[in-house]
Amino acid sequence: MGDFFGNLALGFGVALTPTNLGFAFVGCLVGTLVGVLPGIGPVATVAMLLPLTFYLEPVSGLIMLAGIFYGAQYGGSTTAILVNMPGETSSVVTCIDGHQMARNGRAGAALAVAALGSFFAGCFATLLIALFSPPLAKVGQSFGAPEYFSLMVLGLIAAVVLAHGSIIKAVAMVLLGLLLGLVGTDGNTGGARFTFGATILSAGIGFVPLAIGVFGLGEVIANLISPQHRRDLLTNKISGLWLTWEEFRQAWPASVRGTIIGSLLGVLPGGGATLSAFAGYVLEKKLARDPSRFGKGAIEGVAGPESANNAGAQTSFIPMLTLGIPGNAVMALMIGALTIHGIQPGPQVMTERPALFWGMVASMWLGNLMLVVINLPLIGMWVQLLKVPYRMLYLAILLFCAIGVYTLNNNAFEVILTALFGVLGYVLLRLECEPAPMLLGFILGPLMEENLRRAMRISSGDPMIFINRPISLGLLIAAALLLLIVALPAIRGKREEVFQEG
Amino acid sequence: MSGGTAAKTTPQQFLRRKDVLAGLMFIGVAAFGLWASRNYPIGTAVRMGTGYVPRLLCWILLGLGCIVFIQGFRASAVTLEPSPPIWRSVILIPASLVVFAYAIGPLGVIAAIVLLVVVGSLAGKDSRLVEVIAAALVLIGLTLLVFVWGIGLPIPVWPEWW
Repeated sequence: MGDFFGNLALGFGVALTPTNLGFAFVGCLVGTLVGVLPGIGPVATVAMLLPLTFYLEPVSGLIMLAGIFYGAQYGGSTTAILVNMPGETSSVVTCIDGHQMARNGRAGAALAVAALGSFFAGCFATLLIALFSPPLAKVGQSFGAPEYFSLMVLGLIAAVVLAHGSIIKAVAMVLLGLLLGLVGTDGNTGGARFTFGATILSAGIGFVPLAIGVFGLGEVIANLISPQHRRDLLTNKISGLWLTWEEFRQAWPASVRGTIIGSLLGVLPGGGATLSAFAGYVLEKKLARDPSRFGKGAIEGVAGPESANNAGAQTSFIPMLTLGIPGNAVMALMIGALTIHGIQPGPQVMTERPALFWGMVASMWLGNLMLVVINLPLIGMWVQLLKVPYRMLYLAILLFCAIGVYTLNNNAFEVILTALFGVLGYVLLRLECEPAPMLLGFILGPLMEENLRRAMRISSGDPMIFINRPISLGLLIAAALLLLIVALPAIRGKREEVFQEG
Repeated sequence: MSGGTAAKTTPQQFLRRKDVLAGLMFIGVAAFGLWASRNYPIGTAVRMGTGYVPRLLCWILLGLGCIVFIQGFRASAVTLEPSPPIWRSVILIPASLVVFAYAIGPLGVIAAIVLLVVVGSLAGKDSRLVEVIAAALVLIGLTLLVFVWGIGLPIPVWPEWW
């Protein structure tokens, strides 16, 4: 326990330096911005700003990128409540009751409960990260190549199961990502793969062009072709950001429940903010004495999912930081950011770079505190931003995409790649193929191949090594069970129900 | 569940089903990958050659693509919803980035932003001249302030010959 406080002290020492406080603030501000603005999400934003972190200390860069991710969870609720349009996918369910509250003249209360619930969830989840990361990293350190390979298989399968839509398509998307990750020179044999003689491809495809193209440009193209319905902004109805006693009494248990379910789901591979929010809403509706209130402005329908999505966003850092396994697309980008800074992601990060790890954890708590200030008193500023029409906004998105990719290497090649991935992103959207599993496969691909090769060398080519090692076997059984469970018709129905709510 | 509608499906309608198209996409990628890697040495499990993992993945993707394609035969398969003409946005949005990338070196970032905004705004249907000019000015100011002077990105501001 003394260790725990020593670590936290170290962390706050790092997070409280003016530079890092500044970057945490910038991250939270940008996060709120992209959260508020529909049509641009945290994945594309993190990818755009990632190249800029080359110019920063690793810890400052990661603090900023993390702030964007959890800041977006706060901002997303503002748009959901005031415009009845999700700023982020994780705030889709907040629209249902949040916007009704706004119509009933309780917009201020809805915004307040979303921000305070998120703050509570953020604090709790940060504490969980601090408590559970060290033991988990210990477990990770005992893993050899076969265990790591099996863990990644489990991670990818779980990501597929928890993504919505067709499971087979999601697995195929993972494979597409793995194949894209292979492009370039094979590190082990020196042979070129899928480079078609182009020297420029021998270094491989960067994950920044892939992420910006698919998640940023693809989205812009889709929005221009089928415009969103007209926004109806309820600004005149924000009267006081306070809850009545009755509202508080109804909201806080929902907030606590949302925090717990979000924290649990966030740790799972494939989990994170969106799934947590959906689960939080379904739970509140199931537990309510009078479920018919939902959809008409029930405050629990805002408190539950909003706490859940923030808790889930935060705890999804746990597997990324302790095992080097990304559970969602943003975490995959964080893994990429670590690698770019020359830090090998995995359990050794915590022991070899304690200042980086604990500095990030401490900054998350500070960031949550900043976010309450950014979101509640400054709400008027964000409302003004919502008045900017999309036909102007997308030009800004295009420019930030362009600058982000161009500054990677100051050459046009990566921008052309991004443009191509943008078209791919639009095609995938139209065909209902989830791009997130592809990004996970893309990032994990090289690591998986490396561990597969090592495992095969240890066992002299016997694939039974994955089954003879108990931990590896356990992980593979878990993966198989997950696939089996979702294949059962009863569970499949439930899975669709969770994602179809609202 | 009416078998009658399935029987009447024309080949054109069939090809507009999402699963059919997605399946064909996966099959196409896998087949292309298998063709491109046909000469890669495969090696053995202990000493994997360059082609071992790529070919393995391509075969699995080929199988999955076939399953997705077959799912497109189900009567419940979703058809691609009709959309307004797409080519303007699909071509001009990516093009605006490429124009920016080729312009920034010789012409500097200010001219590159103007070009990006012009090409980008042509991709939308309801762009208004005043707004486009306003957006360009705001974006130029923001870029200079944040990226050039703030972060100090090494990008040229003015044309080479300036």
